Amino acid sequence: MSDQWTDRLSEYLDDELPPDERVALEAHLRQCAGCGAVLADLKRIATRARGLEDRLPERDLWPGIAARIGLDTGERPVVDLDAVRVRRRVSFSLPQLIAAGIGLVALSGGTAWVLHPPARTVVAVREAPAAPVVTVANRSSVAGQRYASAVADLERVLDQGRGRLDTATVRVILRNLATIDSAIAQAQRALAADSANVYLNSHLAETRQRKLELLRQAAALVSSVS
Amino acid sequence: MFFTLASGAFAALALLQQIDTTVTAQPGQRLVVDSYGGEIAVKTWGRNAVRVEADPPSRTSVEISSSGGVVSVRSEGRRGPPATVDYTITVPAWMGLDLSGVYTDVKVAGVRAPITVETVQGEVDVAGGEGTISLRSVQGAVKLQDAKGRIDVHSVNEEVRVSNASGEITAETVNGDVVLEQVDATSLDATTVNGDLGYDGPIRNGGRYTLSTHNGDITLAATERTNATVMVSTFSGDFESDFPVPLRETRKGRRFSFNLGGGSAQVSLESFQGTIRLVRPGHVNQERDQEDRDHKGSDHDDDSAR
Repeated sequence: MSDQWTDRLSEYLDDELPPDERVALEAHLRQCAGCGAVLADLKRIATRARGLEDRLPERDLWPGIAARIGLDTGERPVVDLDAVRVRRRVSFSLPQLIAAGIGLVALSGGTAWVLHPPARTVVAVREAPAAPVVTVANRSSVAGQRYASAVADLERVLDQGRGRLDTATVRVILRNLATIDSAIAQAQRALAADSANVYLNSHLAETRQRKLELLRQAAALVSSVS
Repeated sequence: MFFTLASGAFAALALLQQIDTTVTAQPGQRLVVDSYGGEIAVKTWGRNAVRVEADPPSRTSVEISSSGGVVSVRSEGRRGPPATVDYTITVPAWMGLDLSGVYTDVKVAGVRAPITVETVQGEVDVAGGEGTISLRSVQGAVKLQDAKGRIDVHSVNEEVRVSNASGEITAETVNGDVVLEQVDATSLDATTVNGDLGYDGPIRNGGRYTLSTHNGDITLAATERTNATVMVSTFSGDFESDFPVPLRETRKGRRFSFNLGGGSAQVSLESFQGTIRLVRPGHVNQERDQEDRDHKGSDHDDDSAR
């Protein structure tokens, strides 16, 4: 169960807490195993985020992108990703990196979702300078696979444990999952017709995140009555 | 006949336990209540003590203890899960609350301290709260009023409503409306999938306000003098405003932004297929009421057509 400090752990990790709150939180951490576990998770996710491999593109994509969005097509070199990596922090830019964030969360595996609060604060706390566009497609694809894997894990937990929940609760959860699935399907259809739409990409990622959160909540309910 | 009724009543009384216990509350202690089903009603008084009143059935025991930073109240079944227990608990206003249950309704009034509530099948109705306030229900509506601090209100299948409150606010549901009225949010994150969103309150300089729904309308109170950069995003919805705004782009399926006043607050309004409206302060509920009437009218028309 979360407490008043749980939502501040990300700020603590980013060294953004005022000194007095930092001292208070550190005192709390010495007594609260739950917050200690969440902090450890956040650190692990942050470490993995920093360690993500940036794949160099096979060819320079910028001229094509610039032409499609109506900018000049002057030659630009492929971005030096090593240089970018030095100044990159844990946070990412919208909207594709929301999806990458889901993937990072999924890294911890569906079972971890049952046991710990969501790590969304890690990926949503600030707007970073735009990440190199050339890496997004690969990362989104990987994030999509991890998302699907996390959803499958949590659905399995719910399916196996649904007998322990009240049937009315199961019905409500399934109905709301269906509502979210419907929204996801509509967003996907819209995206199929307009794949460059920033809002639709962001909306799809956020709606998927909602599904993960609801599944995690349902799995936690199963866990709590086990 | 009389003997039968009297003995039956006597037997029923014998099955219930009368609990009325008062324990001293030490400064800084929190109240933790773990209930399986029933109602937890918490009110306040001027004494530094916690009074617990309940009538649990005989097969359920209620344990009340005070140690360290916690006054704890929990029900436990002697055989199997605990039965439904209705609690009336009186606490000092300074006492933080941590209330949880499964089939449990929760009502709180008058507390001026952090409050955490978690229930599965139950309504949550809290008046008061200061500091970190977290209210969650899966199947019940969540209502909060007269609160200030870091507020997180969450349902899955019902409405979330916050009124006369201030601070950093997160309000979420999946299938229901999110209503924020007379709310002074320094930051706001309000989301639903299938429902409307309404915010009636000041837009603070430097604040961040995000309202997002898939299948519903968004109504935001604002004026020409509001200092905000407003980003509107929709796929197949519409945008309306009670006053002229300098739109840069108004095509469907696109984002557009505009500045009001100095533009220092960041406001993001996203509805996949609903209408996004800017209305004058105090008119958010009028829009909602009008929509409800329209929906009822169209339902009635549909019924008539059948």
